[in-house]
Amino acid sequence: MNVIVGRYINRNSWVHRLDPRMKILSLIILMIGTFMTSTLINMLWILAGVFLLILTSKISLLNFIKSLVPLLFLMTFTFVFQVLFNKQGPIISTLTLNLSFITILLNVVVIIGYQILKRFRIRGFFWFLLTFAFIIYLYTLNLGTPFKIINLNLYRDGLTFGLFLLVRIIILVSASSLLTLTTKPADLNNGLERLMKPLKVLKVPVDEMSMMISIALRFIPTLLDEVNKIMKAQASRGVDFASGNIKKKVVQIVSLLVPMFVISFKRADDLSNAMEARGYFPGMERSKFGILKFRFSDYLTILFSISFLVGIVYFDL
Amino acid sequence: MEIIKVENMSFSYSKEEIFKDFNIVINKGEWITILGHNGSGKSTLTKVMIGLLKKETGIIKINGIELTEENVYDVRKNIGIVFQNPDNQFVGSTVKDDLAFGLENLCLAHDEIEMRIEKYLTKVNMLEYKDKEPHNLSGGEKQRVAIAAVLSMEPEIIILDEATSMLDPKGKEEVIEVIKNLSENNTVITITHNLSEAILSDRVIVLNKGKIVLDGKPLAVFKETEKILSAGLDLLPSMKIANKLAELNYQDEELKGILWELNSKM
Repeated sequence: MNVIVGRYINRNSWVHRLDPRMKILSLIILMIGTFMTSTLINMLWILAGVFLLILTSKISLLNFIKSLVPLLFLMTFTFVFQVLFNKQGPIISTLTLNLSFITILLNVVVIIGYQILKRFRIRGFFWFLLTFAFIIYLYTLNLGTPFKIINLNLYRDGLTFGLFLLVRIIILVSASSLLTLTTKPADLNNGLERLMKPLKVLKVPVDEMSMMISIALRFIPTLLDEVNKIMKAQASRGVDFASGNIKKKVVQIVSLLVPMFVISFKRADDLSNAMEARGYFPGMERSKFGILKFRFSDYLTILFSISFLVGIVYFDL
Repeated sequence: MEIIKVENMSFSYSKEEIFKDFNIVINKGEWITILGHNGSGKSTLTKVMIGLLKKETGIIKINGIELTEENVYDVRKNIGIVFQNPDNQFVGSTVKDDLAFGLENLCLAHDEIEMRIEKYLTKVNMLEYKDKEPHNLSGGEKQRVAIAAVLSMEPEIIILDEATSMLDPKGKEEVIEVIKNLSENNTVITITHNLSEAILSDRVIVLNKGKIVLDGKPLAVFKETEKILSAGLDLLPSMKIANKLAELNYQDEELKGILWELNSKM
C-alpha cells in the first residue's frame, strides 16, 4: 500500500528548496499582511503575488482549487451575507424578482429535477449553488403575470466588502496550501520545532511535542493499514460498511474503533519500550541530526516578506 | 569474563509470580539462546534486565555495574534490544531517521551520526534503502533496520527478543544471517521458542515457569527430549524422526530395505 502522508508534492522549484522555517515565517507575515489591508485593490494585488508564487512553485493550480473546495460554503455564505445585509454606499443595481404562478411552478420543477439528479451521484455544494442561481434567474425573467414584485437592492460597499473577504479567504487558504504542498511533513515539523525553541524558556515541552508529531506522522500509514485489515475482518463477520442508516453506521464505526484503540495502545506500549530501550526518556538532552541551514535565497525571502509587510502598512494607513 | 549477572532476582506481575530467586550468569562474547514457551518468562527476563520492568529483590549487574533506579539510563547504553514486532520499534520516518533517533539519544555530533548510519546500514546490507519509508519495506528489511539501529549505538550486549517470529522464511533467513555475523564480535542473547534457531548458538538455556530447566551446549541440551517436551517446546524435526526410528526399533538390513523403497518412489 502506498499512502501519501500529508499533501507534499515533490517538484524541483525554488519554493521547495527554501528553508521550512523561512516558509513558515513568511506565511505568518503574509497572514498579518492580509489582515492589515483594508481595500479590495490592495487585496487583489496580494492575490496576484500569491498567484505568482504558485506559478513558480511548479505545482498544478488544480491542487490549490481542490483545497478551496471544502471552504466553498463558507466563502459563499460570507459573500452572500455581505451582499444582502451590508447597506452602505450607493446602490449599483436593483434585482427585480417576479413572483408569478409560472415561475413558482418552474421553481418546483427545477427542485424536483435537482433531487432526481442527486440520486445519480451528481451532488455537492457546487451543484446546489448552480441550481440556486438558476432559480434566482428564473424569478428575474418576466414570465406570466406577477402577483408580487420584490426589489433587491445591490449596494456598492456590500459588493466590494464581500469580494474583499472572499479574496482574503482565497489568499489565506492557497498560501497555507503552498506551504504544505512544497514542504515535507517531517521538514515542516523540524522547522516548527526550531521556531518554537525560544518557548522552552517558558517550560513549553517543544522537543516532546515535535517528537509526538513526528511519531504520529510516521504511524499514519501503519494505522491505515490496520484499519483496512480490521474492516476486512469485520466484514467477514458480517458487518456491512457500505450501507445502513445512522444507527447502523454508529455500530459499524464502533466495531472499527474498539479494536483500533486496543491495537493502538498495544503498539504505543511496544513503541515506548523500544524507545526507552534505545535510551530515550522525555525531557532528555538530545543532539540533532537533521541540520537546517539558511542560504542566500532564504535571507532574500525573509527580507522580501518584511518589506512586503512594511509596504502594506505604508500604503494602507 | 561475566558480563551479565543476575542474583536471587524475584519479579511478579501484580499477583502472578514470574521469577523467584532467579540466578543466571552470561559471559562476554557468548551467543546464548533462551528457549521457552509463551509465558515462560523469557521476555520478562530481558525487560527486567534493562529496567523496563522493576525487579522486587535481588541484584542485576550489567558489565560490572549494578542496576539501580538512578543509573538505569546509563546501564541501558550497554544493552540493545531488538523486539518482536518490526513495525512497533520503527521510530523515525525514514530508515536513516530511525537510526538517527538512537544516536541522537547518545548526544552524538552530526558527522558521527552520519558515519555510523553508513557503517551499520552496510553491515546489515540495507544502505541502498537509506531514504525509504517504513511502509515501503518488508518485515525482514524492517527487522534488519531495527538491528542496525541497535548496533549503531554500539552496545556490549545485543538481545533479540523473538526478532524472527513475525517474519516469513526469507526474512527469517536474512535476519539469522545477520545475527550469525554479529555473534563473532558481540555478546548476543536470542530469545525464541524455536529450537532450530538455537543450534547455532554457543549455549542454550531452557526456561519453564521462571526457572532454568536446562543449561548447556545446544547438542547436549537437545538430547534431553523429555525435559524439552515438558517445558512446552517442540523438538527439532530431525530429532522427531530419530525418536520415531528408535521407537520402531528396526534392524539394520530392514531399515535399508525401507529406505531403498522410499527412495525409488521419489
